[in-house]
Amino acid sequence: VSGELLFWLNLLVTVGIYALLAVSLNLINGSAGMFHLGHHGFWALGAYSATWLTINAASLPGPLLYALSLLLAMAVAALGGLTIGIPCLRLRGDYLAIATLGFGEIVRIAVQNSPEDFLGGSLGIRVPRILMDVTRKTQVTFRLLSLAIVVVACAATIVAFRNFLRSTAGRRLLAVAQDETAAGLLGINPTRSKVLAFVMGSAVAGLAGGIYAHYMGGLDPKNFLFMEMVKMFLIIVLGGMGSFSGCVVGAFLVVATEQLLNRAPEAIASWWQVLFPLILAIMIIFRPQGIFGRKEITDIIRSWRRSAA
Amino acid sequence: VLDYLLNGLALGAIFAFIALGYTMVYGIIKLINFAHGEFFMFGAFLGFFVLRDLGVERLPLPQPLPILLSYVVALTAASLGAGALAVATERIAYRPVRRAGRIAALITAVCVSLILQNLAIKAWGAEPKAYPQPREWTEVGDLDGTATANLYAVKRLVTTEGKVVENEARVVTIGEPLGDATRARLRAEGHERVYRQVPLDRGWTRGFVILALALWAPVLWFLVKRTRMGKAMRAVSEDADAARLMGIDINRVISWTFFLGAFVAGVGGVAYCVSYGKVEPFTGFLPGMKAFIAAVIGGIGSIPGAILGGLVLGTAESLIPYALREGLGWEAAFAWKDAIAFALLIVILVFRPTGILGRPAREKV
Repeated sequence: VSGELLFWLNLLVTVGIYALLAVSLNLINGSAGMFHLGHHGFWALGAYSATWLTINAASLPGPLLYALSLLLAMAVAALGGLTIGIPCLRLRGDYLAIATLGFGEIVRIAVQNSPEDFLGGSLGIRVPRILMDVTRKTQVTFRLLSLAIVVVACAATIVAFRNFLRSTAGRRLLAVAQDETAAGLLGINPTRSKVLAFVMGSAVAGLAGGIYAHYMGGLDPKNFLFMEMVKMFLIIVLGGMGSFSGCVVGAFLVVATEQLLNRAPEAIASWWQVLFPLILAIMIIFRPQGIFGRKEITDIIRSWRRSAA
Repeated sequence: VLDYLLNGLALGAIFAFIALGYTMVYGIIKLINFAHGEFFMFGAFLGFFVLRDLGVERLPLPQPLPILLSYVVALTAASLGAGALAVATERIAYRPVRRAGRIAALITAVCVSLILQNLAIKAWGAEPKAYPQPREWTEVGDLDGTATANLYAVKRLVTTEGKVVENEARVVTIGEPLGDATRARLRAEGHERVYRQVPLDRGWTRGFVILALALWAPVLWFLVKRTRMGKAMRAVSEDADAARLMGIDINRVISWTFFLGAFVAGVGGVAYCVSYGKVEPFTGFLPGMKAFIAAVIGGIGSIPGAILGGLVLGTAESLIPYALREGLGWEAAFAWKDAIAFALLIVILVFRPTGILGRPAREKV
């Protein structure tokens, strides 16, 4: 029973981390309409900078260090987003996709080639446990705690992004996403709007990276392959471009499929790597707006109530 | 420096081979064909099977086919196979999304690439396989002094099914004393002739790819500029609707373009794996990305641009780390060459998005 419980807790935490990644990707790809394929790079930036701080400031008390490392993860990822965003966001469509994809690969190559005493290089690196001791007995508590953290982070991000999209800056962004030229003629600076969204999105990806690093207790450059980007993309395409709650549903569908398949015998398990791209392609052809489209879950429930009344 | 320059040019020639396919497809349907690297990988695998089965690295003399001919067969198989895969992919995956918008098509392409990669893992396993290296043998006559190299002989083996297989076996290890005793032992074991491997110049692969590019480029140029199909291709890339009204069968043109691009990529795949010595399902990913970068550097849509871009990128990837290592004493510079390529892409995209030979596209509002 305990093994089963651990499995489902692990699944939920992983769903949470992917939901966080997908929500932040959705701000960039869905709401802002940019075609960004390097999100796994920001995720890795966050994960590795949090790890670096955790190792190098080990004298600080655990919870404080945890919070600081998440802050650093966000800051580093945001800085990365700014440096890559300013030159690249003038590009459009497929050129932007390639440039950001290149960035994601650079981050992974850099980590892979880093000295072993700095970021672990291609062998990977251990992340010290600072929140609590993780043993067999405390495993359930640790996963519950991680779940609580990731749920709070996710909820806070969704609320923050929704409020942002209703603010002046957010409306500007939506205008730019609809028609960049027209928005420019109305006196909006399109590049500034897009860079802002890009930086916000990458900061949250960094946060997801920090939480991921502490949860996993170890990092490996192979965790940040392009396939992860495809998973995130599948999540937002399933959930709906521009729908944040759709991301959570999408994340659950994708992560649960993967993890349940992983329990199956080896011969079946590895087929998810063929299955995911296939579903993504089919979705993009037949229902490109995703399950929810731009609607949020709350909108859908409201319309159900209305039709029932 | 000259050595690095030549290495760079050879690598660049391979990038150019792959970049040609990207550029032609982009020119026609404005799609970045992510799966192109997988066509390349597929070609490399076909070449691998052909070269393995023709036994280019085994000793049994006479070889079934001379080495050069084996390579011609391998290259032909690779390019035809890759071309067929490309035509099938276009028909199954890309044609349905052609009207669905560029982003949808691009995502489909990314998916196709991953699917092909994973199917290759299913079929051939994920572990890298050593690519057959051509070896040349010469008979050793006088067995005196000490052996300066390992000596081999042909050994007959009978398999459990009763088939007779000839294989090479080492009979004298380097440094072993030679003389009457050894001679007697060899005769007792039934080895009439012993052979020594002739070391092949590492540079031959460089020469091979550069030569192949030099031969291929004019052929391609001729096909695109001087044939009816080439004219149709150019017409479609200029204005697909007008071309259709002129009675050009667009689907045929697109299939042909995919075929031609993959045909060239297959050649590149074999050349790449011959120079790196291994092949695996992920073989296509990095060279594919690099070749795309090369196409962008040269100006996407332009055939001379793709070749120029490939050569520039290959040279830069070889010379920049060299300069960093020699000039700044940075030992790890070569491990970063992939990052240098991507950085180069970003710089080019920002300062000259249309590439070296690309025409700036004017955008109408």
